[in-house]
Order: sequence, then structure tokens, then C-alpha cells
Amino acid sequence: MARWHASVPVCKDKLMRHTPYRWHKPLTPWVFVLPTVVGLLAFKLLPIVSALYFSFTEWSLLGSPLFIKLANYRELVSSEVFVRIVRNTVQFSFVYVIGSMVFGLALAVLINVQTRGIAFFRAAIYLPVVTSAVAVGIVWNWMLGPTYGVINNLIEAMGMTPPYWLADMKLALNTVATVQVWKMSGYYMIIFLAGLQNINADVLDSARVDGANAIQSFFRITVPMMASTLFFVLTITIIDSFKNFELIYAMTKGGPQNASNTLVYDVYLNAFVYYRIGYASAIAYVLFIIVALMTIFNFYVRKHLVEGLD
Amino acid sequence: MKYKTASRLRLLLIAIVSIIYIFPFFWMVSNSFMSDKNIFAVPPRFIGDLLFTDAMFINYKNVFTQFNFGLYTFNSIWVFSLAAIGQLVVCSLAGFALSMMRFRGKNLIFSLLVITLMIPVQVTIIPEYFLFLKLNWLDTYLPLIVPSFLSGAFGTFLLKEFFSQVPRALFDAAIIDGVNAYQMFFRIYLPQSSSPMATLFIIAFMNNWNDLLRPMLYISSRKLYTVTVALSQFQGQYEVRWNLLLAGSVLSVLPLIIVFAFSQRYIIESTMSSGIKG
Repeated sequence: MARWHASVPVCKDKLMRHTPYRWHKPLTPWVFVLPTVVGLLAFKLLPIVSALYFSFTEWSLLGSPLFIKLANYRELVSSEVFVRIVRNTVQFSFVYVIGSMVFGLALAVLINVQTRGIAFFRAAIYLPVVTSAVAVGIVWNWMLGPTYGVINNLIEAMGMTPPYWLADMKLALNTVATVQVWKMSGYYMIIFLAGLQNINADVLDSARVDGANAIQSFFRITVPMMASTLFFVLTITIIDSFKNFELIYAMTKGGPQNASNTLVYDVYLNAFVYYRIGYASAIAYVLFIIVALMTIFNFYVRKHLVEGLD
Repeated sequence: MKYKTASRLRLLLIAIVSIIYIFPFFWMVSNSFMSDKNIFAVPPRFIGDLLFTDAMFINYKNVFTQFNFGLYTFNSIWVFSLAAIGQLVVCSLAGFALSMMRFRGKNLIFSLLVITLMIPVQVTIIPEYFLFLKLNWLDTYLPLIVPSFLSGAFGTFLLKEFFSQVPRALFDAAIIDGVNAYQMFFRIYLPQSSSPMATLFIIAFMNNWNDLLRPMLYISSRKLYTVTVALSQFQGQYEVRWNLLLAGSVLSVLPLIIVFAFSQRYIIESTMSSGIKG
């Protein structure tokens, strides 16, 4: 799922670099991009516009939508459950972004060596990325289970009282978010690894000659030289942090009592379990606006702050 | 001498960290070879009691006979292969135009593709579902296949990046020979691109294989289930039969692990090269 955004905008001159002149008939490119344009219209732009319309209606997919203006949004704002869900979404993002950045970078620094067998470890850490969230959810549910789970048995063996990872209202959301970090950190590790390998080894060598220790050279050289990679990973972890439907579905179904329910999961719940299409569309639109604001903010920061850094 | 010890410590750390990533897979496999009684042993056993006995594959057999996993695997393989082929067609065409051609609206299309990567599927899923309902495509594979023939952002970026790195001399030589745009694409550029195309095929196939929401919404007949949907349904029905559930998980993961084992270098490299651009 995450691998679908493995690229970011490239500036205009880069697009043109290869072909400074137009060597083809003017309409030929449109033949090449026709399916893409149709796809963008039919599955992205049109749905985004019609979701806005649906969000002003009451509708159960049967019959025709009843226009009720802002009633869905009014209901959202006054709903305690919705406030909880927004809070959950933010909390999930927070845990996910921090966890993924820290683990991704730590793993990359750790694994950035040339040794025999390193490819095996790299692949092992990447393995959860290509595994379905359903299978990941099943095995972690089993491992985190209260009586028979291996993790709680281990905690008991050490003489402590293990928590109810998925049944505890305070813990469930963080547990799912942590499993999602486990699943995806290999992916960010690879991106960080590419950033690390772009750093000129001579700079690190000369720092060592000057007497810098490992920690100094990490914070004084590696981190500043990786500024744009760090920002890029920050961007995609924020975007990815909203995409948690599958793991929540496999692990908690949003429970207990909405404790691990998030915006994406609530859209599914209202649309395809309760058939409240209008209300679900309003939730989807809140989600869309949050993601859009994040994206605009990212573009702005990238343009004004990050591009000059390295 | 100092570096040697440091790197041994590092290897030890790497090994410990890898255990965190491998252990759940080990647990999935070892517990899938346990009898109903053994799996609920406290404290948990690490090695399945059915291993190397006559009944070794009994859980797997049950998953195949009681739950028809073979059919679902077959469904997933052909449907998502077709979808992945769709991605190759549409992304190579668009990637070529975006990297090699000049036309108005190019940057607009490019920006829209970037934006579509950002938006969670739940934002557009309701109108999409309604569209397929109106087209009478529900409970067929068309909603899982047709969109793949109509735009894919990641693949377009991957191939655009690749095409723009094909040596300029090749392009110039072809121009001098007087090829038109279609010949340039089909005869010059496409034959060069077998490696990124293979990578894209595998990544698209894996993503679809693992997808839950769309196949869950669009497929309702049991016989049309994909592997991931089947596993998820299985989880709902056999909540307490963990050994069967884990055997099903192994079966759903195994084909991808085999593909990944052979292609991991290319998949990881494509993440490295496309992930860092910008």
C-alpha cells in the first residue's frame, strides 16, 4: 500500500531535461496519456466532487439521495464518537510518524554496512512490508492474546502482570499503531538507507580524523546532510499514517467501544455497515480536507525551507 | 582492532533487531503445525507437535478442504496478474509521454498523479462503489481489473524515471532514422525496459494481492473471493481455531514470500531510487 507513493514531485526543468524540443506530432502525447486521464477523471476527480455532494445528503444507496444541506456536518461536530475518532486519528498518526521515523532511521544507520549476509537482514526487515495487513493482524492478535499469547506469557514469566493489549481502552489504539510501525519500518529504512549512502564518505572520514566520535558525527553530519530525506520521510509517514484501515479491521474492528476507531475505519463503518452514505461521505470529506491541508503545508515547507538545505 | 569489535557489536545488534521482524513469521509457521491441544499449551510451545508426524499437514489439508483455499489462491493469481498487466500498459504509456514528450497539461497530469497518491482510498471509495453499482459490475472481477488499466501513479513515476535515464544517444539515433512516436515507444524504449517492467509487475501484483477493502466490498460470492478476503472471512468465522487460521495465513503469505525472495533486490532498489527522488 505504501509503495504507491514512492515518488515526489520533480521540478519542471527535470521533466524537460531529456527532450529539449518537441519531436512528435502535437496530439500524440494525448494518445499515450489517454487511459491515465480517463482513470484520473473516473476514479479520482469525479469521486472527489461527488463525495462532496453526497456529504450534503441523506442516503442509503437505495432510492435517491435526499438533500439535507449541512445536517451531516452538524451531526459530526456534535457527536462525541466523532470527536473521539478525530482524536484517535491524530494519536495514531503521532505514534506512527514518530515510531516510523525513529525506527526507520535507526535501522538504516544500523544496517548501513558492507558485510556478507547483510542483504538477508535487510530483506528480513523488509518482509512485513510485503505481507498483507490481514496476515500481520492475525499473527499479532495471536501473539498478543491474553491467556495463550506468547508475549503475555513471557511477561508473566518475568513476574509482571501483562496488560490486555487489544481489549484495554487505553492501550488498543497504541498497540495497533505499534504493529503498523513494525510492519512498515522496513520501508522507511530503505529510503533512509538511500539517503545515508548519498552522504560523501570523505566528510565522515575527515570528521573522524578531526576526532569526532560516532554520536557527534551522526548529529553534526549525518542528520544535517539528510535533511531533505528526513523531510521526505516525514511527509510520507504522515500521509501513510491515515492509511490504517486494513490493520484495524484485522486486529480490533475499531473496538473496544471505538477506542481504536479512526477516520478511515469510520468511513467504512458508516458507509458499508450502517449504510449511512451521506454521513460517511461527510466523514470522508473531513479526512480529505485534513489530508489536503497536510499536503499543501508540505509543499509549502518543501518550497521555502527544505530545498535550500542540501 | 577498534573497528572490528565495533562491527561485531553491530552485527549482534542487527541480529537481535532482525529477530523482532522474523519472529512473528516463525511463530505463524510453527503454530500452524500444532494440534488443537498443543496450540493452547501454557506456557506456549515453540515447535509444533505435528512436525514430522503422519498428521503434519492436517491443518493445511483442512484449510484446503474445508475452506477451499486453493480456489481463492487461483482467483487471486489470475485476477491480479491481469491487473498488473494493466498497470504495465497504462504506466509505460503515460511514463513515456511524461518523460519524453512536450505538451501542455503535462505538469497538471503529473501533479494530479502525485495528489492521488496522497489521498486515502476511503475518500473516493463511496462514489467509486456507486459507479460500479450503476455499471452492474458488483460481484464481478471488473472493479478489480478495469481501474488498473486506467492510471497508476507509482508505476507511472517509476517508468518515467527509467525512460528519462535511457541514454540520449539512442533517442538521437532513432530520430535520425526517422521513427515516429509509436515506433520510438514500441521499438526503441519498451524493449529496454524489461527490468523496471518486471519490478512494477511484481509490486502491483503484491499490492493487489494484499488489498482488502476493494475486493471485500466488490466481491460477495464466496467462489469469487480473493485470498486476502478469504483469510479475513476465515478469521471472523474460526476465531478460536488458531492453528487453522495461522495455516491459512501461511498459505496467503507464502506465494508472496517466494516471489519476494527472488525479486527482493529489485523491489528494494526501486524503493531506494524512486523513493529518494525529489
